[in-house]
Amino acid sequence: MLVYVVKRLALLGVMLFGLLCITFAISHVVPGDPARLAAGPDASASMVETIRVQYGLDQPLWVQFGRYVRGILRGDLGRSLRTREDVLADLVRYFPNTFELVTGAMLVAVALGVPAGILAAVYRNTWVDHLTRFVSVSGVAIPAFWLGLMLQLLVALDLGLLPLGGRLGLMTAPPEPITHLLFVDALLRGAWATLADAAAHALLPVVTLCFPALASIMRVNRAEMIETLQQDYIVNARAQGIPDFRIVARYALKNAMVPTLTMIGLRYGWMLGGTVLVETVFDWPGIGLYAVNSAVSSDFQPIMGVTLLIGLNFMLANLAVDLAYGWLDPRIRPATSA
Amino acid sequence: MGITRWGGGVLVTVLAALVAAAPAAGFERVGDRKILVFAGRQEVPTIDPSVKYDWSIRMAQQSLYDALVKYVGNPPEIVSWLAERWESSPDARTWTFHLVKTAKFHNGDPVTAEAVRFSFARTLRLNQGPAWMLSDFLKEDGIAVLDAHTIRFQLTKPYAPFLSFLPWWYVMNPKQVLAHEEGGDAGRKWLTTNEAGSGPFRIKRWQQGVLYELEAVDDYWKGWPSRDHIGGVVYKIVRESGAQRAALLRGEADIVEGLSPDDYDQVGKMPGIVVPTFPGMTTFGLKMNTQRGVTKDPNLRKAIAYAFDYDALIKIYNGNAVLQTSPFPNATRGHIDVPGFPRQDLAKARAFLARSAYPQGGVEIEYVYVQGLEEERKIGLVLIDNLQKLGIKVKMVPLIWPNMVARGAKLETAPDLMAVFTTPVSTDPDAVAYQYHKSSWGKYYGSSHYANDGVWALIDKARTLGRWEDRAPLYAEIQKRITADAPELFGMLANRRWGMRDYVKGFAFSPVRFTGEVDLYPLAIVAK
Repeated sequence: MLVYVVKRLALLGVMLFGLLCITFAISHVVPGDPARLAAGPDASASMVETIRVQYGLDQPLWVQFGRYVRGILRGDLGRSLRTREDVLADLVRYFPNTFELVTGAMLVAVALGVPAGILAAVYRNTWVDHLTRFVSVSGVAIPAFWLGLMLQLLVALDLGLLPLGGRLGLMTAPPEPITHLLFVDALLRGAWATLADAAAHALLPVVTLCFPALASIMRVNRAEMIETLQQDYIVNARAQGIPDFRIVARYALKNAMVPTLTMIGLRYGWMLGGTVLVETVFDWPGIGLYAVNSAVSSDFQPIMGVTLLIGLNFMLANLAVDLAYGWLDPRIRPATSA
Repeated sequence: MGITRWGGGVLVTVLAALVAAAPAAGFERVGDRKILVFAGRQEVPTIDPSVKYDWSIRMAQQSLYDALVKYVGNPPEIVSWLAERWESSPDARTWTFHLVKTAKFHNGDPVTAEAVRFSFARTLRLNQGPAWMLSDFLKEDGIAVLDAHTIRFQLTKPYAPFLSFLPWWYVMNPKQVLAHEEGGDAGRKWLTTNEAGSGPFRIKRWQQGVLYELEAVDDYWKGWPSRDHIGGVVYKIVRESGAQRAALLRGEADIVEGLSPDDYDQVGKMPGIVVPTFPGMTTFGLKMNTQRGVTKDPNLRKAIAYAFDYDALIKIYNGNAVLQTSPFPNATRGHIDVPGFPRQDLAKARAFLARSAYPQGGVEIEYVYVQGLEEERKIGLVLIDNLQKLGIKVKMVPLIWPNMVARGAKLETAPDLMAVFTTPVSTDPDAVAYQYHKSSWGKYYGSSHYANDGVWALIDKARTLGRWEDRAPLYAEIQKRITADAPELFGMLANRRWGMRDYVKGFAFSPVRFTGEVDLYPLAIVAK
């Protein structure tokens, strides 16, 4: 298993380099003059040139690429033309916010989606099944930004139950950072009021973001459970008088979870880079918003930094899923270990 | 920490989460300070006065720093600030400023002529941000400190608009800047999120990308215009206009900017909310490529200008706009109502088309606008409707702003028609006239690539004359000639609007400020 993990990690490096090459090429062939945009609308030609030289944009592309790769090896992801900060510092500022949002949304989606999928399969063609089908179709069909706005209008504006957006109330001071994860830092510092405020602010974005994932997990898990519950060994277990709960929880679920786990891994990786609409609606200062703002400013370095980070996350999520396959289904283990 | 304490903490958290959700009751309070909450869509990526400006950056800079003079009022006037008086030579080459002796930076250091020299020299040397305003006329060695409170600027050539740019040249404390210099960066890294100013506010919190909190300087050297002045400001980033609107209605924000015309109309009807509305200086026009393609033909350009339904512009903005009557905004000094300024007249449009190289129409022109800007999309639909009467087809091309700027920068790629909002940085006519000078080719507002040697010569001459009486007739002539050449479909001046809680008092509009920008200094909260 260790050899397998090492091999996968080595391959991950190669894939990241490939991703880097593609991102660099794409971001440098799109129209737009980042130096002109950074210098400002009134800047003279000499001012634009000053920015161009300062950020090395006057150099040939291969020189810029070489510098960038050397920088990455030193842990330097370059500097943003828009925020005037090191990209790494920006990522450290914004990524934990997205990580917490996505992880929270995924936890909720799994916690609700898996049991709902099981119930829908066990009580197939009953009202329980119909209800979960309604939720899963809605989750796929409703655009996240629309749902977010509706929740804001109903829950925050009309009912006044939760805040409209942001991570914390205006006058709530964030805890001194330890991990840069607000919830974790608030817990570690015992800042309960801050934690409560953060939870209140996170609720609507988490619900909005988890809804499509919940729907997918529910659907896949239901389908797999139905198939598994029809297997001979389940019929045999029933014939032996093993209680239904035990059959479902111990024997059926583990087998049905393999495709669900694939779905969770893919969704999680995708959500880490695809939260921009939710972040915009709820003013959640995350990586998606940072990436989009950089893209519309033709700010290359952050775009590449974000792409690498999201790519890395995606790959790690897939690796984790592959490793989990072995745990869930011992028949897969030898193949992955080979 | 035991399990029990953790468990208790989590329980408290869950319960408090519901309590914390109670709607905010208007402005915030810290002790006896009333804190104004401004919900703006735009970040403030830097506050370094030498590096960058836009509306949100400048609103922060204006609050943290002072300049020699300041724009105040409507119409805007330049009033003394750090400089109590000044004089210029008749040829507008030598400018001498006498500083007030009471001004001090936030750390207590006095604001001196040396600080002014340092700040101007730094901006010129970095060659960023506002440097373009003066760099053709002012060199570092032209700045002389005559005594602790007197400074003289010797320009390389006469430049009458010099004073009109000085409100945007903020004065920094050299001691603080130099103390934070890293590797010869002139303090740039530090000044990105820290200040070294003497303005009415100082930084309290700076959470990049989230919110910025400023605290009023109680003993501000200039004093405060009201005893109810705000005790501070939280500028909170709310990126979605629906959320801005909701924040205002719910009392989570005291001022919002950037709502749609419909939203402004709606929130203005709500109790406790006012929507101040003023004609601004931002022009909206459709820049026509005068060098390439079918719009190179001046008669075709004029046909387009006379075919367009200008009233539709006003309707799109729900009546909150006024039509341009000159290439210059109304608040620009020397503005005239140009006789015969184009309005919809199909007979004239057809006459100009008949004189063009395309008498039957039969051409397609490209209208490029900002992707996602609904008002510009609607204007495109009006164009399609209007120009089909001349047999001209319009192809609507939405682009993101960087791609528009890139296309407009080169005459080979500049679109036939490009929708552009332009805000001049000063009230001096040179700031607008120069948009039609060859030197503006390559900038977004120069995407017409307008060429007229006679107009260029007039612009070059007018900026060097010291006496307004000599300059005014030249600018009148410039406005007429530009109109006659029709490099642009001159549109309208959209009103500036904000949504505001009615307990916010002291709002002082000045059209020379950028869209969304508010002078925070005179604001007060009059409420218990």
